[in-house]
Amino acid sequence: MSENFNIDDVSNLASIELSEDEKAKLQKDLQIILEHVEALKNVDIKDEKIDIHPLSKVLELRKDESKESLKHEDAMMNSPETKDGHFVVPPSIE
Amino acid sequence: MNLKATIGMETHVELDTESKMFCSCEVIESEEPNISVCPTCLGLPGALPVPNKTAIEYIVMLSLGTNCNITNEGMFHRKNYFYPDLPKNYQISQFDFPVGINGSLEIVLDEELHSVEIERVHMEEDTGKSVHEGSGRIDSAISTLLDFNRSGIPLVEVVTKPVISTSKMAVAYIEELRQLVIELGISKGKLEKGNLRFDANISVADENSNELGTKVEIKNMNSLKSLEKAIDYEIMRQSKQVEKGESVIQETRHWDENKQVTISMRTKEGSADYRYFSDPDLPNMIIDQEFIKNSKKKIQNLPTDKRKTLKESGLSLSDSNYLDKGEKWLYDLYLSTVENTKDSKSTFNFLTGELQGQMRKAEIDKLPEWVDSEKLANLINLFETNEVSFTSAKDILAKLLGEDIDPKSYASEKNLIQSSDDEEIRALVTSVVKDNQDIVERLEDPDDKLVGFLVGQVMKSSEIKVNPGTVKEVLLKELFG
Ligand SMILES: [Zn+2]
Repeated sequence: MSENFNIDDVSNLASIELSEDEKAKLQKDLQIILEHVEALKNVDIKDEKIDIHPLSKVLELRKDESKESLKHEDAMMNSPETKDGHFVVPPSIE
Repeated sequence: MNLKATIGMETHVELDTESKMFCSCEVIESEEPNISVCPTCLGLPGALPVPNKTAIEYIVMLSLGTNCNITNEGMFHRKNYFYPDLPKNYQISQFDFPVGINGSLEIVLDEELHSVEIERVHMEEDTGKSVHEGSGRIDSAISTLLDFNRSGIPLVEVVTKPVISTSKMAVAYIEELRQLVIELGISKGKLEKGNLRFDANISVADENSNELGTKVEIKNMNSLKSLEKAIDYEIMRQSKQVEKGESVIQETRHWDENKQVTISMRTKEGSADYRYFSDPDLPNMIIDQEFIKNSKKKIQNLPTDKRKTLKESGLSLSDSNYLDKGEKWLYDLYLSTVENTKDSKSTFNFLTGELQGQMRKAEIDKLPEWVDSEKLANLINLFETNEVSFTSAKDILAKLLGEDIDPKSYASEKNLIQSSDDEEIRALVTSVVKDNQDIVERLEDPDDKLVGFLVGQVMKSSEIKVNPGTVKEVLLKELFG
């Protein structure tokens, strides 16, 4: 294991609050994933063609035409709180 | 220690497409919130993005317009962060394979051309809009209201290398980029509507040092004026710190328009924390030669081409740049007018000074249909050849803006034509000299003030308008040989 990653940083970036028990469990799981990645680093790919993307499919582009969107009421349907046509969320300032 | 500033610009250009970047919702300009939204741009689970072909064409056009190399096999990445106006919790953007790389944009500063190196041109999507509700102060907001009409509108980010050295140069760069996207027809380019939004990365270092100082990012500049002021303020702030031997903190600051200062935003996330990874919903994007060729065909008149045409008509670089950046009708009007006039500079001055000034005063933003380049050229020629005085030309223009007249016939009708006929003038001069012998005797040299008096007498004695220049010439010849 080359690096010991910080579970607190990761949970903070993901905005997921973890209990001490969960942290310990996830630390172990994620450590194993990192070890897998480490193992992959040892594969010699010098002469291989690089597949950057997991799919070999090529991106299809769409014609620039607008179509009817969701009805406003339907768009707002699942929101716990709305006001003047807006979704309302707790105050969030950058 | 002499300090130098280094500035890099990051500009978001909102593309003028009919539909959004990854869904078919219409791009609208509306105050009514959440009326052009769908599962994709609301970030609902299971919705899949399908890219807009026109937006890709537009970014290729912009990459070509900024002389970039096009990445033939590009891809989209997810830029992960949490903010309520970004409901997927990631923005689809591009990371290590942007559409355009290593370009340049030619800009004009006074009478000089400069080249601003472009690092990258990449595709991404816009976020929604948040409104903070509360007492008006953002730190005491009680809730945040969200509108996703803007969410998913195609955005192109254009990033320069750190090669800009002054606020003036940064402004000229944004003006040039704005004109380019308007000329390409890929964006409305309205700053006040947020079609162009820019951030500046600024650092200050010893001018003899090869290394750049610590970089500070400035956000929230909504106009060219605030861009200029924010850069000047920030250069001053950092210079003071460096001179005192203090270190500049790497951070993001925002421009406070009311206080006219930059303020630290205390941001939590550094650039490495976006955890970019390739978007599994979007396979690699192939931009082949055929696609590039077709996009290129749509490019017509670039600002550099316009400036070239204007310069060829005889204008200076800064005058050419002024017309290039101005409204299209004025550019067209100038080019068709100057074809029938003798002097490009006086045509430029008359159209940009007198004509625009009178239009502003009369509060008209469009020329009346009867005012065409031919009539304006006739009018310009009338005063250029001294047939009418400049004052009369201004009066004729005012009349022309109000009703359909022929400048020349109107000038004759109103007795505004000045005679430059030597014979006629010589007769007048002879008679005035005869009647004013006492003054003539007191004349010492051609610069005598009394010469002006005699010219005035000749003008007065004539029933028609005579050209004062010619009168003076004839008079001096008569008196001093
Ligand atoms: Zn949508």
